[in-house]
Amino acid sequence: MPITQSAKAGLAFALLAFVLLPVLAGGQWVKIFISTGCFILAASGVAFMYARLGMVSLGQVALMGVGGWVMLRMNHAFELPFEINLAVAGAVTLMFGWLLAMPALKMRGLYLALITLMAAGGLEVIFSTFRFPNGGEGFWGVMPSVAAPFRRPFLVSDDTDYLRYIIAAIVAGFLIIELHMRSAPGRAWAMIRRSEAAAYASGVNVVYYKAWAFGLAGFLAGVSGGLLAGGLGLLDPATFRASESIMLFALMIVGGSRGWLGVVIAAALYRVVPALFNDWSIDADISLIIFGAALLHAITTAPNGLSGQLTDLFTKEVKRT
Amino acid sequence: MANRTLTLLMTAAMMLGVCAFLAWGKPPKVVGLFVVSGMAVGSLYALGGIGLVVLYRATGVLNLSNGAIGALGVMCAWQLQQWQVPEVATWFIGIALTTLLALVYGRLIAPGLAWRDPVVKAVATLGFALIVLGVTAFAWEDDVRKFALPSDKVAYTLLGMRITLTRLIVILAAIAIVVAVWLYLSKTRTGLNMRALADNRDISALIGVPIVKTETIAWGISGLIAGFTGLMFGDLVRLEPFVITFMVIPAISAAICGQLRNLGVVLIAGLCIGVIESMMTLSPVLKSIRPIAPFVIAILVLVWVQRGRTNYFAGN
Amino acid sequence: MKKNTLIGLAALGALSMAGVASANDAVCGLDNGQVATGAPIKVGGIYGNAAPGDFSAAVDAAKAYFKCVNENGGIHGRPIQYLVENDQWNPELAAQAAAKLVNDEAVVAMVGNSSFVEMSVNAPMYSANGVMAMASGCAASECFESPNIVSTNQGPLPSSVGAAMYAVEELGATNVSCIGMAIPSVGNWSCGAVQGYMESKGLNGSFVLLNPAAPDVNSALLEAMASGADSILVNLPAGLGIAFLNAAEEQDLGAAYSWTSSTPLYDTSVPRALGDYWNGKLFVSAELTTIDGTGPDNQNWLNVMDAYAEANDPRDTFAQSGYLSAKYFVKTLNAMAPSEVDDRAAVTEAIQSIKGYTSDLMCGPYYVGKAERHMPNHAGIIVEIRDEAFHVVRDCFEYEGPYFQPILEAEKALGLR
Repeated sequence: MPITQSAKAGLAFALLAFVLLPVLAGGQWVKIFISTGCFILAASGVAFMYARLGMVSLGQVALMGVGGWVMLRMNHAFELPFEINLAVAGAVTLMFGWLLAMPALKMRGLYLALITLMAAGGLEVIFSTFRFPNGGEGFWGVMPSVAAPFRRPFLVSDDTDYLRYIIAAIVAGFLIIELHMRSAPGRAWAMIRRSEAAAYASGVNVVYYKAWAFGLAGFLAGVSGGLLAGGLGLLDPATFRASESIMLFALMIVGGSRGWLGVVIAAALYRVVPALFNDWSIDADISLIIFGAALLHAITTAPNGLSGQLTDLFTKEVKRT
Repeated sequence: MANRTLTLLMTAAMMLGVCAFLAWGKPPKVVGLFVVSGMAVGSLYALGGIGLVVLYRATGVLNLSNGAIGALGVMCAWQLQQWQVPEVATWFIGIALTTLLALVYGRLIAPGLAWRDPVVKAVATLGFALIVLGVTAFAWEDDVRKFALPSDKVAYTLLGMRITLTRLIVILAAIAIVVAVWLYLSKTRTGLNMRALADNRDISALIGVPIVKTETIAWGISGLIAGFTGLMFGDLVRLEPFVITFMVIPAISAAICGQLRNLGVVLIAGLCIGVIESMMTLSPVLKSIRPIAPFVIAILVLVWVQRGRTNYFAGN
Repeated sequence: MKKNTLIGLAALGALSMAGVASANDAVCGLDNGQVATGAPIKVGGIYGNAAPGDFSAAVDAAKAYFKCVNENGGIHGRPIQYLVENDQWNPELAAQAAAKLVNDEAVVAMVGNSSFVEMSVNAPMYSANGVMAMASGCAASECFESPNIVSTNQGPLPSSVGAAMYAVEELGATNVSCIGMAIPSVGNWSCGAVQGYMESKGLNGSFVLLNPAAPDVNSALLEAMASGADSILVNLPAGLGIAFLNAAEEQDLGAAYSWTSSTPLYDTSVPRALGDYWNGKLFVSAELTTIDGTGPDNQNWLNVMDAYAEANDPRDTFAQSGYLSAKYFVKTLNAMAPSEVDDRAAVTEAIQSIKGYTSDLMCGPYYVGKAERHMPNHAGIIVEIRDEAFHVVRDCFEYEGPYFQPILEAEKALGLR
């Protein structure tokens, strides 16, 4: 299996991050990077759907909420280990992804985006009404006081170990996507993107592979939501509003939907930059203006996203030398 | 045509069915109150949805910043009233400001994105929305405010519920805008140009449609509607920039019900969504999640409308 | 030339000396006019400032008080370094802020916390790290029912019960409908206590919950009307509360029901925003004394704000609450041994031993104790909205009801009653 240049760079970056980041970052920044890591995983789901299939999902963060919900409920209801809870969270969100796919498969372009947005809006109402489980009784598992403890993975004793765990999970997620790309689903998706009619004519089951893509994106969202729940030990509905899903998609376009660099930039813009602005005491409203302007500028001047611009710059430099 | 009528009838039947189910066993007086209250809220969704669809039909852009620029307009109007500027002048200035902002985006930023796919264009308007929202939130510190219109003092009673003149104005304005825009788009030259532009910008340019002039008029009209909507939201919902800005999301659900095309359906859909959301209060199980009504209805309508469509060949 | 320079220098010296013994009336800390020097004592604070609300007043007031203290002997002569973070109502930012303050900066305590998001996220972390948070702006149950957080403000539950008591005792209410936010740790919790109080009096109570982002407040109003209530208790944040009262005004219900509210509507911009319709019809339960109160501590608060705070820092209930938290913190630390003020465990122990601090700002004594929950402030006043201002109609009174039973018993055990 040939390894591309980009993949080599990505693995090197991941290794560097795995070794150095937890050591260099203090308590606050480790938490910021944990959060960023979860969103890298979620954004990769949105990115591959957009880049490989041209399908827009404006509901990824809401699906993360579903994964996080399942994770918390499993944690407080049973005594199973972290990884099993994570797997269940991923599986349930995968099925939610399929549920979303059913009406969405017949649509494309703006309608597809809008139906995912409506789903995100609906999930926002459910989260804000029923909140997230914190150890209470009943199906919804909410009690009006301090949350019950959350069990982290066996190998993880503190935040720095958890950050490493997440980096490993991200690499695993990217490898899963890459595996898809190199086998039957990837080929089917490439053909569907070129021309659905031709794909159908060649005997590709378009509905099946499109649903698979939704399922994979849902799985990644579920796992990242579960990891986010593990980061704080609890979740708040404010994190999973419909506007957040739109924002993640927007930043994914800004970062670039092809390759790992774009997704990393997207998550960094989504979580690191606001934290940095807050650290520098920049007024929340001013950061909103800066964000909006950067978003507008990036969309108008960089069709391949910031990662596209960076790689172009890099290859130009390499060619020159 | 028959298919469209069938869709409309089926949708109406479905809405009535849901309302009947929710109202089962409740005294008619109480139901009447909730129906009227729902129509009052639904008219706001309808107005927001109409503003979105008008621009979409004319330029192919789903403008997510409608709420944000409306919010800035109504905050300016409020501020001018605090400075003792006569009320009527403040409304005109507020609406003029909103129109100006819409034109700024439409003339300076939107043309550069004309060749991108519709979702990217919508996401770009989100960037503009954040800038405007940030400016509004920064300029006016967080405080409780009230925006009042003289029509708030006049009220009528309908089915036991008191409706202020302001709410009636919203419904009447929505109907008036639907009729006016329908006439404009179907009977005038500029309207025809707008429809051509939304369909295919490049070919329209080739056949001689005056792109710049047409787009300017389209964005200007959209700005006017957004300004009026902002004033109404500021009075009838609350005068908080964030709340007004994100009313655009339930407005999208009304727009979706009209398939981003049929303004009359958007109006009726908006009203129905409001009524169903309000009537959900009567059900002890559903009342806690009644804000979900716009989204569920939009999804169901979309699914219903797309039924029987094959996946494969072209077209949105 | 030299003589002139000498005179000039002397004059300058005299002026700067006058600056140290500053001509303000603020009394704080050791009150000895000496600028604090030496290794700073690190104290943290987390507030929320982004849409939909700005709760920074408490932290600004605490900052002003600490500044005053640093010019008046500090804590055993050492200055306080007050590190403040904004969580923008974002739970992740709240956790990151706490990690920075508690882990990276190793603060000895948190003072002036006023973000309800922060409380629920960080309560377990504070317990795990043995740090006490002397909060000022609590609004959710996690804040009042956790071992390491204690607040000088009341939050929605006590003030709602106080409003219900006034409705029953003075306005003749027999059936109160409590309008709250559809958040279990806020609306259900506080309105549930109101219902408990009504039932303990043999009367009726119900509640209506509103989704905070919902544009439609009409159906909540209709639900309240349909419940058979004769009194409506508005237990919502100021913006939503005003929207709800506007809807009630639209239906001309001012005379049909008696109207009370919990503390968020006690804010100087509210009477004007409501207009003349509600003149004499709305009674608000306030959690601390009125802003223009004449008691000595209230006057001192205003003096501290005038001397050490920015001109545009709000002088509202949160500011009073922040001042109180800061004052009690400084008092506690000055009572400790100087060598122990850097030790977080010792500071926590000292804070937990606080018993019976009084002030004219708060109706009852402030205390902490080693317990699973803290709610020292459970007595308040009632004000009426009249002529675009607030007027006190009932002075300090204790709140009743089943929720406060265990609290009163704990106070008896501590010897406070």
